[in-house]
Amino acid sequence: MARMKFYCDAERCIECNACITACKNENDIPWGINRRRVVTIRDGEPGERSLSVACMHCSDAPCAAVCPVDCFYTTDDGVVLHDKDICIGCGYCFYACPFGAPQFPSSAAFSSRGKMDKCTFCAGGPEETGSGEEYTKYGSNRLAEGKLPLCAEMCSTKALLAGDANVLSDIYRKRVVNRGASVLNWGVQYKKAGIDS
Amino acid sequence: MLITRFTGDSDSQRFRLRVTIQHEDLLDGNIKMARVNNKKSDRVRKTLFFCVLSLLIVVTVPLVPYAIDAQAVAEKQIKADNVVALPNPAINLWNEVRQRNAITEGSSQVKSVDSGILINKAGEDWRRFRMEILVPYGAFSMAAVLLSLIAFFLLRGKMLLPEARSGKRILRFTLNQRTAHWFIVGLFWLLAITGLILLYGRIILIPLLGAEGFSITATACKDVHNLMGPLFLFAVLAMFLLFVKDNFFTGADLKWLAKGGGMFGGHVSAGRFNAGEKIWFWLLIIFGLSLCISGLILVFSIFGQGREVMALSHMFHGISALLLISVSFGHIYLGTVGMEGTLESMTTGYVDESWAKAHHDLWYEDMAGASETTESADKNSQAGIVASGIANTSHK
Repeated sequence: MARMKFYCDAERCIECNACITACKNENDIPWGINRRRVVTIRDGEPGERSLSVACMHCSDAPCAAVCPVDCFYTTDDGVVLHDKDICIGCGYCFYACPFGAPQFPSSAAFSSRGKMDKCTFCAGGPEETGSGEEYTKYGSNRLAEGKLPLCAEMCSTKALLAGDANVLSDIYRKRVVNRGASVLNWGVQYKKAGIDS
Repeated sequence: MLITRFTGDSDSQRFRLRVTIQHEDLLDGNIKMARVNNKKSDRVRKTLFFCVLSLLIVVTVPLVPYAIDAQAVAEKQIKADNVVALPNPAINLWNEVRQRNAITEGSSQVKSVDSGILINKAGEDWRRFRMEILVPYGAFSMAAVLLSLIAFFLLRGKMLLPEARSGKRILRFTLNQRTAHWFIVGLFWLLAITGLILLYGRIILIPLLGAEGFSITATACKDVHNLMGPLFLFAVLAMFLLFVKDNFFTGADLKWLAKGGGMFGGHVSAGRFNAGEKIWFWLLIIFGLSLCISGLILVFSIFGQGREVMALSHMFHGISALLLISVSFGHIYLGTVGMEGTLESMTTGYVDESWAKAHHDLWYEDMAGASETTESADKNSQAGIVASGIANTSHK
């Protein structure tokens, strides 16, 4: 059984925002909703790093823990999904989520929250797989077609990876080893540069 | 018999044979005897055996699916443990982001509230507060107050008036005060019930209604709570303006508190409101305003307030609400079943003279004095009632 995860390599991300565009296009996301965003720290300064952030599909998901109507569920692939028919738009998942993943359409009066929308790991939702209803509510179900999330598939520098945690671990390990072994060692090791200064 | 078929040659063999036969006959006879004698106990033993067997079957067979299920769960758990044990490559990265001195705030091309914040550290604190403090301790405080009230009622019963009703009735609450009171009562319970359903519905109502059924209930509760919530501010302000005059603490309140409010017997002096009522009034004003302010921050998310502010507001909101609900049980108890003659002060506006003497003697003396000097006891009331503090409006 796979355990699906995202990983964004801060050494590779160039803040091109293509992942966001890909996500919006693939899942037909309306204005004002961003299932994925790129955060840049130390913008324009030495040590600038960018990270593409979306739902991290936590094992112990805080959103699922605090949801008053219990609308979240974890698929066999470890993808955290929610049922929009049950969601009441209270915003508790938004308070609890460390990554700012839950999004709310705010078209109603006083920008009161509509039903929550978030990254589905391109795995659709509880509706029938591949149905029009599933697409309208949750976006495409690429996982069911044997494809990975489009944001990661589109990433030009392969900074954003998506897939089975074991495979990602191996890729990550190889990258770190190769960086450490670099004769130039231009301060791209995780401990020497980046975000933990 | 096997041994009877045995044939031997020598004497000793013959002898042994005979002995054996004799012995065997004896044995056979014994068995036969035993069979006859033990026929009854044998049947009993058989019956017992089958009883125990059928009992075991009855007890164990229904458990088989559970056992299979437990087995499956255990296997799943082992699988899950294996999965969790594998390192997620993002862990190192996000651990570095979560270091004490790490920069978590940056910029993003996505322009929305908090979009530049890499990690929301307050979220986990808020989750812990809601799930491990608010939900269990809120329920605990409500249950503790309710149970102690029930225990008190069983011990002391309804506190009756020490003297018979005199028939003379004194104006205690004007129409405005009563209106404000019942307005806040209705609003308070509307908001309390909808709020409690949102807080405890997942535990209590989802097993009863199912997730989809409860979703409809919860949506209705959320909408009612959000629409009616802002009105609570006006209710609290009305209560403050109409009741603040008589709710400042005085020296008599200390004595009242020292005597435990007469809970353990004995007479305690009090003005128009006793110390308990004053404490309840100030709790309502302070925590009511806390509820209103935090509620407005939560419901109108149009001012760009972030998650940390909202999580903090929610903490204030939850604590204030559960505290007021818990204390209100005590207020309701004393106003209805706990004391004779109290409820009518809030329904008709009048109390009996003997009630005033028993519970608010200082106020009664003031009112009696006021009636002599024809001073107005309350500016909001009707002129005719104001003219005399004590109105002779006895029952017919």
